[in-house]
Amino acid sequence: MTAHAFLKIAPNHEQLELIPTAVEEFAERDNWPPDLVFKLNLVLEELGVNIVNYSGATGDIEISLASDEESVTVEISDDGRPFNPLLDQDTPDISAPLGNRPIGGLGIHLVRSMMDEMSYSREDGKNKLAMTKRKSE
Amino acid sequence: MAIDFQRNEGTLIIEAAERVDSTNAQRFLEDLDAAIEPTDQVVILDMEKLTYISSAGLRVVLQTAKTLQRQNSGFALCALSGTVREVFEISGFDQVIAIHPSQDEAIAALKG
Repeated sequence: MTAHAFLKIAPNHEQLELIPTAVEEFAERDNWPPDLVFKLNLVLEELGVNIVNYSGATGDIEISLASDEESVTVEISDDGRPFNPLLDQDTPDISAPLGNRPIGGLGIHLVRSMMDEMSYSREDGKNKLAMTKRKSE
Repeated sequence: MAIDFQRNEGTLIIEAAERVDSTNAQRFLEDLDAAIEPTDQVVILDMEKLTYISSAGLRVVLQTAKTLQRQNSGFALCALSGTVREVFEISGFDQVIAIHPSQDEAIAALKG
């Protein structure tokens, strides 16, 4: 059985707050374990904040969720400037001593670490990021 | 997000609960700054009741660790649940901030 959900929000911080509620409702219907809800919420928060703060997007951010027995697939798109989170963001130095820890870049690093598969494309003036997370480790 | 704190003989124990995300990270930082005194020798941030943290929350913990290092206070986290702990490990924060299974173990380690 496959379940789907779709969310369309304006690119601002108030609208980003709608994401966790939508994810949690979907997760409840689909019986996700808490760990999976946490990770999907985190990934969408980090990407959403990045879009709102840095992309210059003016059109809606579109998020789709699809779930089957094995995995959850998330797609997120925005009309901001081209940004490929797989390539355009260096991995922060996670071994630096405390005093030199970089503050930026952690969000995208978390996204890349938590998802099992990611693919990026630029289509019709939009960034499209598709990600898959397996339900069992 | 909610924090509670108690101070005993130079040891400040802060309990953070619920979610720390981009919407409330600034308030989390302000609450921590307000709670911590320059005279605190040891500060322990108990995360047992924390259900969610994103990079916005990690930044606050990092800033707090730096502040405490400057004032020569000991700092440790304790009682992180599975996924919260994973977030700290992926970020490499477990390499620069002490993490203990419980408050008692954190106190024992910091106060020797």
